[in-house]
Amino acid sequence: MATKPETDTPVFETPGRFEKLYNEYEGTKWSRVAIYGGLSMYLLWTLFPVYWMVTGSLKTREGLLTFPPQWIPLQMEISNYVVLFTQRPEFWRFILNSMIVTIATTIIATFLGACAAYGFVAFDWPYDLDFHLPFYILSTRFMPPIVVAIPIYVIFRDIALVNTLPGLILLYVMFNVPFVVWMMKGFFDEIPDSLVESAMIDGHTHLGAFFKIVLPLAKPGLFASGIFAMIITWNELLFALIITHSADAATLPVGLSSLITQYTIQWELISVAGTIAMIPVLIFAFIVRDELVRGFSMGVDG
Amino acid sequence: MVKVKYDSVEKRYGDTIAVEDAEVTVEDGEFAVLLGPSGCGKTTTLRCLAGLTKPTDGNIFVDGTDITDVHPKNRNIAMVFQNFALYPHMTVGENIGYPLKIAGVSKEERDRRVEETADILQISELIDRSVGELSGGQRQRVALGRAIVREPAVFLMDEPLANLDAKLKMGMRTRIKRLQRELDVTTLYVTHDQEEAMSLGDKLIVMDKGNVQQVGTGDEIYHQPVNRFVAGFIGSPAMNFLEVEKDGAVVRPSIDGAEFEFELDDDIASAYGTDGTFTLGIRPEHVAVRTTENPRCIPGTVEVTEPLGNEQHIDITFGDLSSEDLQFTVTASGSLSVERGDTVWLEFEQEHLHAFEQSSGERIATEEIVQSKPNVPDS
Ligand SMILES: Nc1ncnc2c1ncn2[C@@H]1O[C@H](COP(=O)(O)OP(=O)(O)O)[C@@H](O)[C@H]1O
Ligand SMILES: [Mg+2]
Repeated sequence: MATKPETDTPVFETPGRFEKLYNEYEGTKWSRVAIYGGLSMYLLWTLFPVYWMVTGSLKTREGLLTFPPQWIPLQMEISNYVVLFTQRPEFWRFILNSMIVTIATTIIATFLGACAAYGFVAFDWPYDLDFHLPFYILSTRFMPPIVVAIPIYVIFRDIALVNTLPGLILLYVMFNVPFVVWMMKGFFDEIPDSLVESAMIDGHTHLGAFFKIVLPLAKPGLFASGIFAMIITWNELLFALIITHSADAATLPVGLSSLITQYTIQWELISVAGTIAMIPVLIFAFIVRDELVRGFSMGVDG
Repeated sequence: MVKVKYDSVEKRYGDTIAVEDAEVTVEDGEFAVLLGPSGCGKTTTLRCLAGLTKPTDGNIFVDGTDITDVHPKNRNIAMVFQNFALYPHMTVGENIGYPLKIAGVSKEERDRRVEETADILQISELIDRSVGELSGGQRQRVALGRAIVREPAVFLMDEPLANLDAKLKMGMRTRIKRLQRELDVTTLYVTHDQEEAMSLGDKLIVMDKGNVQQVGTGDEIYHQPVNRFVAGFIGSPAMNFLEVEKDGAVVRPSIDGAEFEFELDDDIASAYGTDGTFTLGIRPEHVAVRTTENPRCIPGTVEVTEPLGNEQHIDITFGDLSSEDLQFTVTASGSLSVERGDTVWLEFEQEHLHAFEQSSGERIATEEIVQSKPNVPDS
C-alpha cells in the first residue's frame, strides 16, 4: 500500500506521453486527417458487425441474405423476435439461466477475489508469497481451457454437477477469481495502510475496516473486475456446451449455437438472439460507466 | 499520576532493532514529545502504544492496565497520522464523527459533538465538504477533530506537521499546544524537529538508534545533555565540539596542527577530574567574539558570516586548520561588524562548557549535572 504526500501547493502535472504526442501533431492538417481517419476506421471495424446484427434481426431472411446487401433495413420487422420465442420457447429458460449464472458468478467471484487480493496486500508473507501465490492463481488461466474440459466433465459427472446451475457457477467462479485477484490487488495497493490503521484505532476490527473503508474505496475496482467477470461469464460457450445439455442449465450462448445445425443456419434468429444477448452487458456497462472509467484508469480518488 | 508506561519494550524486524529496551513514562495530562533523527524508532514506539505494532518484548501499561495484547479498537487511544489518513469517501463531518458512529453513539448526540469539535477547531463551515476539497491545513484540523471528538485516554501524533508548509506549521503548532492544554489530554507526540519538540513538549524523550537517550524538560536537555549525541542533536546551530587533552588546568586540542591552548577555571578543571583526553562542547551562543586581541582568548579566522538581523552566525577556523579539521560556529550580536578573512578572538563561557568521555560519549558529570540526570522511571 502506498502513502501519498499531501501539500498545499498544487502539483504540477506534466503532460502525459499521449497528450504530448497529440499536441505535437494536432496542428498539422494532414496529421488530423490521419488521426480522425484512423479512429473512424476503427469505429467502423468494431461497430459495423454490431450494426449488421441488430439490423439483421429486423430484416426478413430474404432481406438479410440478399445481394447486393441491404445496408439499411427497408422494414422494421419485429416478427423475428416473436418467431424465436414461439419456435423455441426454451429460449426464455436460456436467458433466465444465463442471468442466474452470470449474476451469481459475478458476485461470488468478485467478492472471493477481492478478499483474497486484500489478504495478499494487507499481510506480511514470507518468501515473497504475496507475489508468487497471486501469480500462481493467475497462471491457472494460462493453459488452453479445453485442456481441463474432460477432467472437469468427469469430476462433475461423479459429483452430480453436470447440467446444473450450481455446477456452472462453481466452474465460472473458478475461471474468474484469478482475474479479480490480479486486478483488485492493484487497487488495494493504492489504498494507504494508514486508512485501515486509522479505522482500527477509531474502533473497527480489521475485518470491519475491510468492509467499511477498504471496499468502498476500491469500488471502482470492484466494478471493473465485476463487469470483466460478467462479460466473460455471460459470453462463455465452451464449458457451457460441455457441461450442460438441456434447458435445465444451458445458457444463452448454448442456445445461440443450437441455431446453427448441420442442415441450416437460421441467420435471422441468430441475429435476434445475439441482439438480446448483447443488451444486458451494454445496459450494465452504461449504468456503471463512471465507476468503470475510473476503475480501468486505476485511480482511487481522494 | 502515571498514565502511560513502557516497560522494557523492544521491537525487532529480523536483524534490525527498531526500538530497544524502551522505558518511557508519560504523566496524566502531560505533553510528551518523542524526538530523534529519522529512523531512530520514534514511530515504532508510538505504534506500539496504539497497538498497530506488536512489541517483540516488554509490556505497555495505560492507567496501570497491561494493554500489550489489547486490540487497537479497545485501547481508547486516538492517533493523528502524518498523512492525516482521512477517509476519502466521507465528508468532513462524517470523518470527525466516525469513531462515535462505530461506538454506536446516536445520530443526534454524534452531530452535537461533531459540531462542538468543529467549532473548537474553527472548521464548522467545512462540515459538509468532501475531504478531497480541503487544503493541507484544513485536513490537519479534521484529523485532529476526529482524534479529539471521542475524548481518548491518550492522544498520539506522528509528525502531524511534517506535511505542512512553514507558515501553516507555526500556526498549527500553537493550536495543538493550546488544544492539549484545554482538553488536558495525555499526549505523545513524535517529531524529528527539535525546535517543534522544544516549543511543544512538557517532557522530551530523545531517541537515537532505537534507544532512549535522555528524558527531561526542554531546558534540562538543552543545558545538561547526558551524552554527545543529545548535545549535538539539540540546538541550532549545533553545539561545537573539540577533542582536547587536559593537563592540570590547561587544555589543548588533540588535533594535529592546532596551535592554541587555553586555561580552565580551577573549579571546573577539578570537576572534570583526572587528566587525559576528552571532548569539550560549547554552544554557539556561549562563545564571546572579540575583535581585539586578548590573552585569554583563542584567535580564529572568519570563514562565513550569516546575518540574521539582530544576531549573526559566524563560522570560524583556527590557524592552519581547514574547516574540515575544526570549525566553530558562534552566535554574535548583529551589530558586530566582521567579514570573511578577519581575525577574531574567541572566549568560551566556562560555566557553559560541556565535557564528554571520548569513547562512550557520556557526559562527564560535574556536581550540578549529577542532580539533573534524566529521571529514570522508577518501577
Ligand atoms: N515494518 C517494518 N519492517 C521492517 N523494518 C522496519 C519497519 N518499520 C520500521 N522499521 C525499521 O525500524 C527502524 C525505526 O523506524 P521508525 O520507527 O519508523 O523510525 P522513525 O519514526 O524514528 O523515523 C528503522 O530502521 C526502520 O527501517
Ligand atoms: Mg517516523
